[in-house]
Amino acid sequence: MAKARALVKRRKAVRNIRKITRTMELIATARFKKAMDRATQAAAYTRKINEIVADLAKANLSFSHPLLQKPAEEKNVTLLVLTSNRGLCGGYNGGILRAARARLRELEAEGKHVTLEVSGKRGQAFFKFEGTPISQAYSQFEDKPGFDEVNAIASRYVGDFLAGRLHRLDVAYQKFQSAARQGPAVETLLPIGDLASGAGETSSGRPIDYEFLPTAQEILDEIVPAAFKARFFKVFLDAAVGEQIARRVAMKAATENADEMIRDISMKYNRARQTQITSELAEIIGGAAALE
Amino acid sequence: MATATATNIGRVTQVIGSTFDVEFSEENLPEIYNAIKVDKQIKGIHLKVTGEVQQHLGGGRVRCVALGSTDGMVRGMEVEDTGGPVKVPVGKETLGRVFNVLGEPIDDRGPVNATEYWPIHRDPPKLTDLSSKTEVFETGIKVVDLLTPFVRGGKAGLFGGAGLGKTVILQELIARIAREHGGFSVFAGVGERTREGNDLWLEMQEAKIGDTGRSVIEQTCMVFGQMNEPPGARLRVALSGLTMAEWFRDATGSDTLLFIDNIFRFSQAGSEVSALLGRMPSAVGYQPTLGTELGQLQERITSTNKGAITSVQAVYVPADDPTDPAPATAFSHLDAFIYLERKISEKGIYPAIDPLASSSRVLDPQVVGEHHYRVARRVQQILQRYRELQDIIAILGVEELSESDKNVVNRARRIERFLSQPFFVAEAFTGKAGKFTSREETIQSFEEICDGKWDHLPERAFLYVGGVQEAAEQAKKMQD
Repeated sequence: MAKARALVKRRKAVRNIRKITRTMELIATARFKKAMDRATQAAAYTRKINEIVADLAKANLSFSHPLLQKPAEEKNVTLLVLTSNRGLCGGYNGGILRAARARLRELEAEGKHVTLEVSGKRGQAFFKFEGTPISQAYSQFEDKPGFDEVNAIASRYVGDFLAGRLHRLDVAYQKFQSAARQGPAVETLLPIGDLASGAGETSSGRPIDYEFLPTAQEILDEIVPAAFKARFFKVFLDAAVGEQIARRVAMKAATENADEMIRDISMKYNRARQTQITSELAEIIGGAAALE
Repeated sequence: MATATATNIGRVTQVIGSTFDVEFSEENLPEIYNAIKVDKQIKGIHLKVTGEVQQHLGGGRVRCVALGSTDGMVRGMEVEDTGGPVKVPVGKETLGRVFNVLGEPIDDRGPVNATEYWPIHRDPPKLTDLSSKTEVFETGIKVVDLLTPFVRGGKAGLFGGAGLGKTVILQELIARIAREHGGFSVFAGVGERTREGNDLWLEMQEAKIGDTGRSVIEQTCMVFGQMNEPPGARLRVALSGLTMAEWFRDATGSDTLLFIDNIFRFSQAGSEVSALLGRMPSAVGYQPTLGTELGQLQERITSTNKGAITSVQAVYVPADDPTDPAPATAFSHLDAFIYLERKISEKGIYPAIDPLASSSRVLDPQVVGEHHYRVARRVQQILQRYRELQDIIAILGVEELSESDKNVVNRARRIERFLSQPFFVAEAFTGKAGKFTSREETIQSFEEICDGKWDHLPERAFLYVGGVQEAAEQAKKMQD
């Protein structure tokens, strides 16, 4: 009976785990929906800004802005890693951290002075385990990152960059392409190298003749940081969506695995029980026969 | 075979399978365990059977177990009491020969000119004669030396279900130990396949001891009572082999090796005999005297201050259930205990030894040394943790584990594979030459793996190598 009882206990444990993973799956699905809506809304704003910038670029103006230019020396690099606060999301954190670590090694090999900033408890735990010092840690970003909070960080980067304390900003995060496609990516957000080319389509087919008031340069001064901040915010939104998708997929798989395991254990249990009954019967019959 | 001085003749009154009843005169009853013989020409067939007296039934009748086939036996046949138990030839004349349960040579090489015959039923050595030395016996098999070190003069058991490679490991041990070993070896084949016995015999003729040029068989004698024999023969053949080994221990004082394949068949034969004798079956249908029978055999396999018997026994585990009474009883007699696990053999890792279920009495810092003990325990800890995590991995995946647990899993998977080893006797199957790994190298290798020094090698590199350096070489070869 010892074996059968152990199996029952194990099946119970797996059932409990299944309950949790199933719930997590449902919650992730709901949160994904919300995060997705926010991302789409923000995407509209980002797109519009990009359109304007693209239009500006097409206007054949010779503009320049410090955020667009590569600093003379590239020494101080900040790597921002966006991970989740919670686990149970499959390979989400693992993928990002692998990519981040690879970039970190690369930068260190080039002799850069790298400052590591990590959002999310998972990433913090990882780098703590690795023994890599973290200069800034954030854990306030959940599935609804607020623009104000993100903006504060973005402003600090812009300030640092303009003051020459920061020469380059890399962000490692889960890039969202579509609900079925996303993957870890490491992107350089500062300096904004490809504002014009990466800006996307212009609003309409024919070029618009802008009139700049007071001057093009002043508008540029306003719009370039705004474009950076919009992009920076989008990274956080992407990460939030990616996390929920990853969690939903991982929990779905986990629930299925648990189902399979329960089936497996049930079968083993039934077999153990049957064997035991058979052997007990055989013993009783054997004993009775021997007494005759 | 010795004959009684005054021949005591009885007559067969009943034949039931491989047991038969014989009636003697009341005052001349043969004693329990006496051998009795039928040697008669009947209807053109020569019937020659030896039986062993098991029960006195009253009225001058005794119930006997046949040690050979009872085909052709009829009621009224004359039966002769030999006046003592079955006796087998002992001494150096037995070396290089193959015997059956009665001590008759079955290798077609003429009679054995032994000067001494010993009865197969003997008392175990006295308490005061037992040797108390504890010394590790190196086999060159990594998993055995690290986790279940054998004791010189001790008993080791190989437990495993059907087809997990018990016999292969046993043959490997014979190949490894007997080759290096200076003393004598005795092999008892109990209820296993005749073909395996034949293979072993041929192999021993080819294998050479060290560089002396003499073949292993010259230092070995073999006793077989295989599957085709009646239960009586399978029940007693272990005793025949043991008796020969006892002579080497007591008379020459040398280190003697005793290999038994398979102890479970001994219990099984006992159960068959028990049923035929009409005893009431006990747990799971085994004989009620299971513990006694096995105890009588196992207690004789010991080292005395005259000489040592180191024995390795294979034990079949029916239905992979180690709680079955037969293997469970055998378990308590052993110093080193190796358990073969089906899950490991399914992964293609041989020897399929379960590193957590196997154990040894001498895995103790006072015997094997502090360093060895520590490394062995660390290996077990890592594997134990891996086993605990397995359910989580099965449901949630490796990614969900914490970083330190991921490390444990990675190392455990490497250790698991590193516990495999190419065998000398399996060269023809694996295409890899057998590897002898010294104990120092084994300990060093495992320590380095536990420390994470070899985390960068792919898991597959650890399969079927000797020391960890060879794993590094294999990894290099795989990359090319």
